[in-house]
Amino acid sequence: MPRVSMYTLSTCPWCRKTKQFFRDRQIPFDFVDYDLADTDEQDRIVADMRKHTSDISFPYVVIGDRVIQGYDPDKYEQILKEAGGK
Amino acid sequence: MTADLETRKNALRHFFEPIVDKLGYKFTPDEEMVEFLLEQEVKLEDRWGIPYCPCQALLRIRQEDMKIVCPCIPFHRKHFDALKRCWCGLYVHKDVTDPNSLKQIPLSELEGDKQ
Repeated sequence: MPRVSMYTLSTCPWCRKTKQFFRDRQIPFDFVDYDLADTDEQDRIVADMRKHTSDISFPYVVIGDRVIQGYDPDKYEQILKEAGGK
Repeated sequence: MTADLETRKNALRHFFEPIVDKLGYKFTPDEEMVEFLLEQEVKLEDRWGIPYCPCQALLRIRQEDMKIVCPCIPFHRKHFDALKRCWCGLYVHKDVTDPNSLKQIPLSELEGDKQ
């Protein structure tokens, strides 16, 4: 099972749907809500995201070494399948 | 507080509607989504004084943060026109009847960025 981690916003319905997607499949994940983080943590998150994209948008999901921005269940499924995690 | 929340949600709805109409957009027909997102905006407005987009990050850089004041369509026109919706889906193109058929595709992917 690949590691799943994500950056999310507590105010964003698509971030909630993303968390629910993984919960429904009983796939463990860790996450940080950007808007609830302190400023140092926010700066670290943005710097981390900028390593992969110029577009700072949420949800930002990392499955193994793959990055997916936005709520995209088809893509999550595909990557999990490729990783042999489902 | 609940009454205030409802009042402000309605005020934002009435304020935004003619603006997005002129931009070629409408509120999503998913009323539950509209209610949720407007509620988030009211809470953001309570905290920051401005109804920022609930789905985008405040970077604490004024020039950047002003680009995510709802309705942020003009600042992200190229991206949102390609998606036929704004990032959070509060607004969709006027010809959209099924918002569930629309995907969240990041700008970086549309432009073949680093992804």
